[in-house]
Amino acid sequence: MEGAIKTVVMQYLSSARGKENVSGKNFQKLVKSQMGNILSDTDSSSAIKDMMKGLDDNQDGKVSFQEYLSLVGYLANSMSERKTSASGPEEAAKH
Amino acid sequence: MPSQLETAMETLIMVFHRYAGKEGRNGTLTRRELRLLMENELSGFLKSQKDPTTIDRIMKDLDANGDGEVDFEEFVSLVVGLSIACEACYRAQLTNTQSWNL
Repeated sequence: MEGAIKTVVMQYLSSARGKENVSGKNFQKLVKSQMGNILSDTDSSSAIKDMMKGLDDNQDGKVSFQEYLSLVGYLANSMSERKTSASGPEEAAKH
Repeated sequence: MPSQLETAMETLIMVFHRYAGKEGRNGTLTRRELRLLMENELSGFLKSQKDPTTIDRIMKDLDANGDGEVDFEEFVSLVVGLSIACEACYRAQLTNTQSWNL
């Protein structure tokens, strides 16, 4: 689990390229390369732009570490919910 | 094939559910389950935490809805907190080594 946290942090840091925040362009690359399987529309640059606007609380056109973590947290939550609801009826059928 | 980030998120979900399924309600961590998870999965990060009241404090901080157990959404706050703590540390390491090609 420590390795997983390290990956979450490192993916952000390598996209930030030594800067404080991730630029719009590098955020596009990050989403396309790392979230292609869990998000639809990652082929669409405008969809990613819209998502970034939604995340960008302070509207500075960049993605801060906090904003990135909100996205990762949100995605993990929905993945976890999908998993539990998917196994729900199956589990119930066994009993 | 899942990306590194997707695999990491899968791992977090799997670890949570592995411990949440041990006792009590299935989709939540009891105090004991949280303690086991932290002892077994976060021993490197929390090495210096030998104080037995630490777990009570963390439990109270995480349990946003006050039901005495930690659900996945509340567990995510722990992950976020640890990530923020690690970010400063990894950033310093990277600056020292100048290696951006991970």
